[in-house]
This record gives sequence, C-alpha cells and structure tokens, in this order.
Amino acid sequence: MRRLFSGVVNGFAEIWGHKLRSLLTISCVMLGVASMVLTTGFMEGFFKGWEVSLQEQGGIEKISTTAQGVKERQAPLAAVSPGLTRADARAIAALVPQAAVVSPEIEATRPRLVRGGKSFEGRRGARVLGVTNAILEINRYEVASGRAFSDLDLHDDAEVIIIGSKIRDRLFALGEEPLGAFIDFNDRPFRVIGLLQHYERLWGTYNTLDWKNEIAFVPVTTMATKVQRSDRLSYLNFKAADITRLRETVDAASNVLAQQHRGIIDFNVRTNEEQLASFASTKASFVIGGSAIAGVSLLVSGIGIMNLMLASINERVREIGIRKAVGATPFNIFSQFVAEAVTLSLLGGAAGVAVAVALIKVLSATLPPGSTPLLSPSAFVVGFIFSVSAGVLAGIYPAIQAAKLDPIEALRYE
Amino acid sequence: MPLGFEVLRLDRVGKRYPMGDVIVDALVDASFTLSEGEAVAILGPSGSGKSTLMHLLGFLDSPSSGEIFFENRPVASLNESQRARVRAEKIGFVFQAFNLLPRLSVRANVALPLAYHGSPPDDAEDRVDRALDLVGMTNRAHHKPGELSGGQRQRVAIARALVNEPRILLADEPTGNLDTKTAAAILDLFKELNRLGRTIVVVTHSPEIAAHFRRQLHVRDGLVTEGGFA
Repeated sequence: MRRLFSGVVNGFAEIWGHKLRSLLTISCVMLGVASMVLTTGFMEGFFKGWEVSLQEQGGIEKISTTAQGVKERQAPLAAVSPGLTRADARAIAALVPQAAVVSPEIEATRPRLVRGGKSFEGRRGARVLGVTNAILEINRYEVASGRAFSDLDLHDDAEVIIIGSKIRDRLFALGEEPLGAFIDFNDRPFRVIGLLQHYERLWGTYNTLDWKNEIAFVPVTTMATKVQRSDRLSYLNFKAADITRLRETVDAASNVLAQQHRGIIDFNVRTNEEQLASFASTKASFVIGGSAIAGVSLLVSGIGIMNLMLASINERVREIGIRKAVGATPFNIFSQFVAEAVTLSLLGGAAGVAVAVALIKVLSATLPPGSTPLLSPSAFVVGFIFSVSAGVLAGIYPAIQAAKLDPIEALRYE
Repeated sequence: MPLGFEVLRLDRVGKRYPMGDVIVDALVDASFTLSEGEAVAILGPSGSGKSTLMHLLGFLDSPSSGEIFFENRPVASLNESQRARVRAEKIGFVFQAFNLLPRLSVRANVALPLAYHGSPPDDAEDRVDRALDLVGMTNRAHHKPGELSGGQRQRVAIARALVNEPRILLADEPTGNLDTKTAAAILDLFKELNRLGRTIVVVTHSPEIAAHFRRQLHVRDGLVTEGGFA
C-alpha cells in the first residue's frame, strides 16, 4: 500500500516534470473517456426513451390480436370464418381466465372530424377508434377531464366522443370549452364527453408520443352500428393477468379464437415480447457499435500512454540503474512504471468524465428534455475501468523493458 | 581495532566478457575476505578491473567462475530479486557521479533504499534523520540535489548508502568528481564512519587516497594482490 502510494506520488512528480508531454497524453485518454461516457449516456437515453414508449403502448403484458390473411391451404374455406368480431372479445373474456382486460377496437377507415369549418382528416389526420373503457387500461390512456364511457353509452350506441389533446387544439379555439360541445364525426354529430391527457416525450423537437394525442374514442357499439356498419374488429387487445404466464395466455386465447373461427386461422396473436426481442437485438448492435468505438479510443489512448512511457523510460535509464543499485527488484521497477501509466490514465479518465458531465449538462440545458443523454453511474464505472485498463495495458510493455535493464549498463548510461 | 566476522569472501572469482571479437578477462581468480569493521581501498589504474570487482561485490554483476559468499552464503544461490533485497538491506553504494535522483528532495533521495526494504522499519523517518545528521546535511533536507555543491551531493549519497545501516559500504571513486579540499572532507567522513564500526570498501585509482585506508588491495590486469596493511 505504501509502495503503491509512493508509486503514485512518483508518477505525479514525473507527470509534473514533463507537463506538455503529459498533457497531450492525458488529453488522448480524456477524449477517449469523454466519448465513451457520452456514447454510453446517449445510448442509455435512447434505451430509456424506448422503454417509456413501450410502456405507453401497453407494456409487455399487452397481447394484441389482428385479422390477417389465411394460409393458402385454408383459402377455399376462409369464408367459413366469421372473422374477428366482438363475439371473440366476449369469448376471450368468458373462456380465457388468464386474460385480464379485453379491449375490442374498431378503427374508422376514413375518419373525418369537423367542427365549425375546422377539420381534422386525411392521411396524417386523427385516428378514431370504437372502443370500450378497456382501452384506457390496456393502452394507458388517462381521461384528464370529463368522463369515460358509461355502460349506457355502450348499450345505447350513444354518439359520444373522447378526444386527444391535438384534436382539441385543432378543433377548438383557446379557451373554448370542448366538454359538451359537438363534433361532426363522418357527418354525424358526437358530443364530447372526455378529454385525454396530453402525452409528451421529446426527441429533439419531435414528440415521440404524439400518436397518443391524435386519437379519439367512440363507443365500440356506436362504431359498429352507425359508422363502420360492421362488427369486424380492427384489433382485439387484452392483457395477461400474470406476466409470467404470457405464453400460456397467448395459447389459450389462440385456441378460443380458432374455435370461434371454425378452425380458420385468419388472426394473428402477438405480444410485445417480439418487440422486446427486436429491441434487444437493436440494443445489442448499439452495444457492439459502442464497444467498437470504445475499443478504438482505448487503443488510441493506449498508444499515447505507451509512447510517453517508452520516451520517459529512455530518459530515465540512469534513474532505473540507481534504483536497482540501491535495492529495487525488477518487480519494484515494473510496478513503479505501471503505477505511473495508471496515474496518467486516471488523470485523463477523471478529466474525460468531467468533460462528459459538463457536455451533458450543457446539452440538457440547450436541447429539449427527452432527447438528452442520461448521466448514469454506469458511465462513471465505464470511464474508470476504461482508463485504468488503458493505463495497465499500455504500461506493461514499457514497464517490462524498464525492469529488464541491466543495472551496470543503466548506471553507465549518460 | 579487532576485526570481526567475515562479511564478504571471494573464492577464485573470475569475470570474462566478450568485447568485439576478443574475450577479455576482467578479473582472474580473485580470492580475498572482507571482515566486519574493515576499511579497505581497492587500488588500480583505470581499466584494471576494479570497477568489475566493485560490481561483483555489490551483486550488480555475476562472476563467470568462482564463488562469492555474503555472510557465508553463496551469492549464486540467490535469484535476482533476492540479490536486490540483500542490496537494499545490507549493502550501501556510493558512486563517483553521486547518482542522486534529480527530481526528488534530499530527504526523499536518502529515504529511497527504505522503499525497497523487505520489511520497512518503523523508525524509517528517524533513520533518515540520523543519516542526514551523520553527514551534516540536516539543514538541506528539503533542497533538490541540483541546488547543492558536489561535496554536499556526495554527502547526501553517503547518507543514502547508510540509511539501511548496511553491513558494508561500497564506494566507487567517491572523490573523483570533487576538489581536493572537499575530497579530504569526504575521506574524513569515511574514516569517521569506519571508526564507528562501519565496514568500508573504497575503489580508487589514486594511491594518495588509498593511503588513507588500513588495508589495500591492488588490481592490475585483472589480478588482485594484497597491498599490505598500513
């Protein structure tokens, strides 16, 4: 311990003795560590954002069913199936105990929302879904003001609508009260009974959650009878009661649906697990890319340190001879030079982390929230491990050279 | 002064090394014993092999033939690290060129061998103080070697050699870089140390300096002969 300390003290003396040279080497390590910490921070920010967006889509307990074309061998029989309907939703609710909340959803094919000359339509327009209150739980919507649907609304095919913040902004002037007002949805007046919460998570200036604001809900019964005039569901979403039995829930629901559809597989049951898997592979490629960057920076810093150490040893041959003459073992010399390299790289590492922290602070202040890199403890750990390993790896070879010097030759050296 | 136990013994020690195409016998069949409390001058012209002898005595080099015994143990049986350890704990070196580390303070230079001591003594600080006091350099402890005169530097180097309280002090032309007056003072210091019981070996080319020592070993063309006791 005392020896390690004296090694570090010695290292500082040497670094101080060659200020410019040491500064250049330290900057190498500093840049490497700073880029590492920043890359890690951006990656974490990105992953965090992705996790939030997965949560906002219902989390991994959400299971979604959509209609899909049948396989070729079943094609002649396809007409036998009634397709994905509200009956399926009832069947799953009744027969699949593993499914907690069941949300039948019918999406309007060409929704047109008009109010007093203002309209919201077109390809980039609003989506209008016929739903039950189940969607609020499954897809994580919150009614901020007004109310959700009542049983009566659903029973009576009531012409009521719950709208997202963007629709409100588009159809209502500032200060206008939307609740109780009427909106024409595909030429039929609907009374606004609820307003959804505003969702926001910025990536730069782009709100990645805007899709949650460009949406409106009407009762699924109303949508089926009065708008689409079809009982066909666009989506049938439900939630696994027990996340550890996700697979089992999917299987049970698939069986019930196959039965309902008379054996015709014209539906597709998916979980967010697949999305999670594809996310994992994206994450893996990010990590590989990040590691490659780290590797290159490690190499560059390592070369810088090794260069400095070799130059320093060349200058200090006599010192090594003296130390050996007064009793330093080869290992003493070896550890002295490794300690110096590590001291150097730790200084660089500390500077690098400081620069990264400062940059992250500046970025957080200038960029809109949400797109900024995260400052995580792992970044510090990475920076620390990175700089110590750069120091050790780059220090070993020069240190071995130093330890091998013949003391007599070294003492004669001028 | 009665002579004590044997510290170093050379038994038919030879050293030869290639120099270009020829093989040079730097030392041939050297046999002698150094005892505790002795003050010995190794005298010879340059190129006589006395530096080789000095390196062998301090285990900085290994003999080509014969054996060296330190405290009755064959040095050849020790590996490089063990020899370094013995050097740190029991042998003090003084060089012609002082060989202080320029970046370290006087105090840190003197303390250097303690860092390589197998079990660093508890009284390390006291030892540094005592060594500095013995050579009269206490008031320069925080200077850098570059701020000192040649004689002062050599005193620091001697303090460094003494800090581990070695069995033997080896000095290679310790007055070679000093003026006559300073050299005399350094020689007086060596004599004083010997009077206090320290075993001292001084390598020199100067018969005048050698004359200060009780025993002289003459080296010429690699042959070591007893020059008699003064």
